[in-house]
Amino acid sequence: MNARDRAPLGQGIARVGLILSLLFGLIAVGAGYWQVIRASELTRAPDNPIVIAAARDVVRGKILDRTGATLATSKRDANGEPYRVYADRSLAPLIGYASPVYGTAGLERAYNAELSGQGSPNSLDDLLSKLAPGATQGESLTLSLSLKLQEAAVKALGSDRGAVVMLDPRTGRVLAMASTPTFNANAIADPTTAVAAFTRTAAVAGQPFLDRATMGEYVPGSIFKIVTSAAALGSGAISPSTTYPQQPAAETAGLLVSGFRIHDGHHDFSGSLALDYDQAIEVSCNIYFALTGLRTGGAALAASAARFGFGKPIPFDLPTAVSQVTNGGGSFGGGFKDDVELANAAYGQAETLVTPLQMALVASAVANGGVLMRPELVTSISGQTGNVSIGPETLGSAMSPGVAGTIGHAMELAVESSWGRIFTTGAAIPGIDTAGKTGTAQIGGSAEPNSWFIGYAPANNPQVAIAVVVEQGGHGSARAAPIAGSLMGLWLKTLNP
Amino acid sequence: MSAAVGVPGSRTVSRIRPRLRRRETGLLVLVGVILVLGSVSLGATQRQLAGQAVTWLPADTGQLVIYLGALVAAHLALVLAGRRSDQVLLPTIGLLGGISLLLMERLPQSLVTQSLAGRSFGLASIQLGWLVLAIAVITIAAIAVRSDAWLRRYKYTWAAAGIVLLLLTFLIGNEVNGALLTITVGPISGQPTELIKVILVIFLAGYLSDFRPLLVGASMRLGPLRLPPVPYLLPMFAMWAMALGIVVIQRDLGAALLFFAVFLALVYIATARASYVVLGLILFVVGSFIAYQLFGTVRDRVDIWLNPFVDASGKGYQVIQSLYAFGRGGIIGTGLGAGLPLVAGRLPIPAIHTDFPFAALGEELGLIGVVAILGLYLVVIERGLRIAASAADDFRALLAAGLTLVVGVQAFIIAAGNLKLIPLTGVTLPFISYGGSSLLANGVVVGLLLALSDRGVEPPPPPRPSRARRPGFLGGRPGGGR
Repeated sequence: MNARDRAPLGQGIARVGLILSLLFGLIAVGAGYWQVIRASELTRAPDNPIVIAAARDVVRGKILDRTGATLATSKRDANGEPYRVYADRSLAPLIGYASPVYGTAGLERAYNAELSGQGSPNSLDDLLSKLAPGATQGESLTLSLSLKLQEAAVKALGSDRGAVVMLDPRTGRVLAMASTPTFNANAIADPTTAVAAFTRTAAVAGQPFLDRATMGEYVPGSIFKIVTSAAALGSGAISPSTTYPQQPAAETAGLLVSGFRIHDGHHDFSGSLALDYDQAIEVSCNIYFALTGLRTGGAALAASAARFGFGKPIPFDLPTAVSQVTNGGGSFGGGFKDDVELANAAYGQAETLVTPLQMALVASAVANGGVLMRPELVTSISGQTGNVSIGPETLGSAMSPGVAGTIGHAMELAVESSWGRIFTTGAAIPGIDTAGKTGTAQIGGSAEPNSWFIGYAPANNPQVAIAVVVEQGGHGSARAAPIAGSLMGLWLKTLNP
Repeated sequence: MSAAVGVPGSRTVSRIRPRLRRRETGLLVLVGVILVLGSVSLGATQRQLAGQAVTWLPADTGQLVIYLGALVAAHLALVLAGRRSDQVLLPTIGLLGGISLLLMERLPQSLVTQSLAGRSFGLASIQLGWLVLAIAVITIAAIAVRSDAWLRRYKYTWAAAGIVLLLLTFLIGNEVNGALLTITVGPISGQPTELIKVILVIFLAGYLSDFRPLLVGASMRLGPLRLPPVPYLLPMFAMWAMALGIVVIQRDLGAALLFFAVFLALVYIATARASYVVLGLILFVVGSFIAYQLFGTVRDRVDIWLNPFVDASGKGYQVIQSLYAFGRGGIIGTGLGAGLPLVAGRLPIPAIHTDFPFAALGEELGLIGVVAILGLYLVVIERGLRIAASAADDFRALLAAGLTLVVGVQAFIIAAGNLKLIPLTGVTLPFISYGGSSLLANGVVVGLLLALSDRGVEPPPPPRPSRARRPGFLGGRPGGGR
């Protein structure tokens, strides 16, 4: 008989008890992991029933414009279920929608946590809200936007596809941010019509859901010469008096860069004159800026563009597409493939792609003495616990004040001088000095070019900066420049005199 | 002990003398206070959410009175019967059952409905009925079971009964979520595995106590393992085959895991030999591997466990929703009745009342509540193992330990499954999940534990001459040394 069978069972029982205790301790640790460490992440998951239920029950906060006019508010249907109502369809691509069926988009999505009253990261508030269940009231947003200016911008774009961004260059605050075509967000927010309206809107060829102001990527054309100017003047590659002796001769046959010919369209007006910097801006000389780009170098051009915000998403209230000067990866400096790409990029063709918001920031930085302000749309968030004001915030210096002054002077001539009036028809605001630059962006094939304008006013005391793009609107002066002139005039003379 | 040492066949007649159970009284008062507070809290929340005036009344005064009344009646019966049995188990089970009642009152009553005598009953009413019956079973078993002869003598009869039940489930069982779980006889349907787990423990206690000396003594070597001769290993393989059979035929992973784990633990307690456990774990790994390769159900469960987010709205849905519930609960919970947000009138977790009550409580009572509930199960385990350790002989020790283990291991399997610590298997959370079979079977378990803990119970029969006589069994605490 082995001694072990005499051992009492107590030892085995105790060990099994110990193992079970450890296993139960493990459960407690597991519960702690999910309930404390991962809790907030789990609770914010979009498919968490509390998020879905909260979105249904919560009375979303209002969205107001700069004057307090209501842009979005919530009403209750016959069953007491809240639904969203929007003031005007000109707001749709920007503000988006909050739909019980399709969730949220646009500003409604970006500020969903605040609008649905779940934005407070305060754990004490979380605890208190758990102690007092019931429907929550979301926080309200006040925007820097002017509803009237927004409506005018959409009206000016008319049936064309395009975008308008208007900023106060001193603060970066958005005054208007239009994208066309627009859509009926009210129908998508209404539970009874949501499915039909969403399906119909999604099928429209012009992509109404796309907010072209922040997400549209366009070939800039000549408006990009402002960025090239900042790089060239800032790096000392050129001065305002720089001329290129080979430029007049190249006007008729085109400038040959490594086998590629760069053409111009202004020699009927400038003749055989060797243009200086101001004149090159006035007549929008491609050859002058191709030569300037080559002299400046790809690295300096890319670095200058980056200071305006190219190459990464713009810090803004909404997601933004990234603007680029080149696809990158090339060995010619700054990511350019070769001198042909650089020469073309310098006047805004090649692989250069920009968003309207990015180009409004370029105009804004020139207007603001080279200082780039963070663009902002939401200026305050107010809820039961109080009112939080936001910004303004400086992003950095895009160029020196001297360079900004030089470029600004040239942009003023581009609108106001005798040559400028020919090339930038319609941008001038009667009685107010205006600065600006048109762009006629070739998009390939036989398609009409995209019509661009960026600028600001008043030239000596800038209060509004603008970027306008009209898809296939022809020359810059055909569509974009008159829209810009009338909208800036409306803002400066009527809405905010 | 004189007259009590009965000649087999004779009955011990003793005068019944009531005996106060002060500790149980005090603990039951505490349980009553907790449940009244819980019910008041639930009532206030429910009325507020329904837009009614908030009062200090319990959520359902009638149900609470019936439930607490049943606990008091059980207590009085034990007092009047003069039992010197454990005084902590009944209040602990009473609190777990009370939490179950509050949870069922809080869930939509339409989850389960049944008509009886022309009246329709909802979830909480039915669960209350089962809880009261379970308390009655506990009380009757605790008082009436004065001898274990009927348990220890007929171990093979019990084993046969268990196998018959298993076969019945296989032959006439109904499928629930892809597993053969319930059988229906006339108006009554039940889950046989709940009863089989009790029968299994009775059989194992009889078998292991009889063959313990042989299992411990003889040995052969197999590599680093010292094992008993092959004939003694047969039950191990039989048990393994049965567990695998349950997986294969019934696709009831939870029951298989429970049975095998309890079996291994009992073998370890009986023999104190780690080699059995190692062999058992090897068999477990081999069996799991085979099952994973062969059966889609097993593969699904494991894949869901490894990454539920791959199919978040499909296969992984339940587990993810369970984790969301725990997350929403946080540390202090939402409070009873304030969690489990409805979307389009649907509860966030399917089968919440049977398979996920732990997640529901995790949300509404928070981490604090989870730890408290785990603590209650540990109290049950501690009392049960204490009863086992102080039992008069091997059979009773193994029986008490086994009964304790089926409750403790089952609670672990489902709680850990809810928390994604192990793959989810559909077993009930003892005393909390909705369901008559589970409540009654666990009632039998607790009733037997109470009976085994009674110092006045009939002493075990003298050891048979063929078996070595063991010196006095330890008298007290677990882990009291050799």
